Amino acid sequence: MIEEIRKVVAERLEELDGVVVLRKSSEGVAPHLFRKGDDLSELEIVPRYPLMTVVSKLHKAFPDIRLGVVARGCDERAFVEMAKRNQIDPERLSIIGFACTAEEAQECYCDEPYPQHLVVGTPPPPGPPNPLVAKCDALPLDERRAFWKHQFLKCLKCYGCRNICPECFCEACAMEDAAWVEPGLLAPPFPVFHLIRAMHMASRCVACRQCELTCPAHIPLTVLYDLMRRDMETLLGYVPGADMAAPPPLSVTLDETPLLVGTSHLE
Amino acid sequence: MVTEFEPRIVAFMCNWCTYAAADTAGVSRMQQPPNVLPIRVMCSGRVSPEMVLRTFRAGADGVLVMGCHIGDCHYSSGNHRTAKRVPLLRNLLSYAGINPDRLRLAWVSGAEAPRFVEVTNEFIETIRALGPLSQEVTE
Repeated sequence: MIEEIRKVVAERLEELDGVVVLRKSSEGVAPHLFRKGDDLSELEIVPRYPLMTVVSKLHKAFPDIRLGVVARGCDERAFVEMAKRNQIDPERLSIIGFACTAEEAQECYCDEPYPQHLVVGTPPPPGPPNPLVAKCDALPLDERRAFWKHQFLKCLKCYGCRNICPECFCEACAMEDAAWVEPGLLAPPFPVFHLIRAMHMASRCVACRQCELTCPAHIPLTVLYDLMRRDMETLLGYVPGADMAAPPPLSVTLDETPLLVGTSHLE
Repeated sequence: MVTEFEPRIVAFMCNWCTYAAADTAGVSRMQQPPNVLPIRVMCSGRVSPEMVLRTFRAGADGVLVMGCHIGDCHYSSGNHRTAKRVPLLRNLLSYAGINPDRLRLAWVSGAEAPRFVEVTNEFIETIRALGPLSQEVTE
């Protein structure tokens, strides 16, 4: 698989200014911009890393640069939501998609472990849904509250979930605004801190699960975000990352993206 | 001494419709209990999820968001955003274990002073039945 990716990257480098992918060196694995003529034997695809954040930064810093990126399914979905919000210029990005392994799909509870622009590899079977989602769904309100308060009590307020997230690119973050989140509290105040993030993620979360991997306190954040993703689909028919042409539903009118259920309050 | 629970409710009201209805209700001397703290906003679409969550955090037992009927928004489609946001936020509250009935969205036009009184009184009773939120948030 990786040999094939190296071959495609070498081909694309003939035309592009560079390709963003991971690089393995004696110091470890890190995102890297490979240029024409570079030693591609150092190219690496493991572990998963939100490379679209790097692409976005490069696109903003160099307005003429034409890039390639080696992307998984979740990277490509992140790209779709970022491009819609002017964080990446789709005209200047070429996606070299590869399929995740069946084990990775399982680990990530990923229902689409491959990109639409699949260049290398074959799609593995999708992973199962996260069993914690159904478990939380089945709990009565007071037990849900106890569960989440226990989880949020572990929070170190390191902002790792936000910092790693490819969809968190606001210049001013509501989670740092003293008007909404009282500063100086550990654990961060309930219900504001984590629920603000969950609400902001509703139309953006592409289930890459980087937040949960990053969280030093092992808070199962994606359970909350999976529930919001489910709501976006049932209430507004919106699946983040699926369709470049679909406008972000919370930013447009009911005529453009109508509510599909629970419309009695609109009368 | 045990004092009876009196719900503390914050109502975000749109400047163009609901606030006028509330004003008319007052001028017409319609009877209302003093449980509702009104906050005038220029549009119900201005009421962000942060504002609602912070209001609960600050001690409100219930939050009402009220604005113009769909089609009557002073800014054409400001209330369209509210219409999508509030159901999502209600679901999120329930996922975190907070009763979603503590957040209610209602359209009240400037001509609907009796409806304003009816909606707020009904909501006060809903929250009275649910009890104080502080139990749910702090303990």
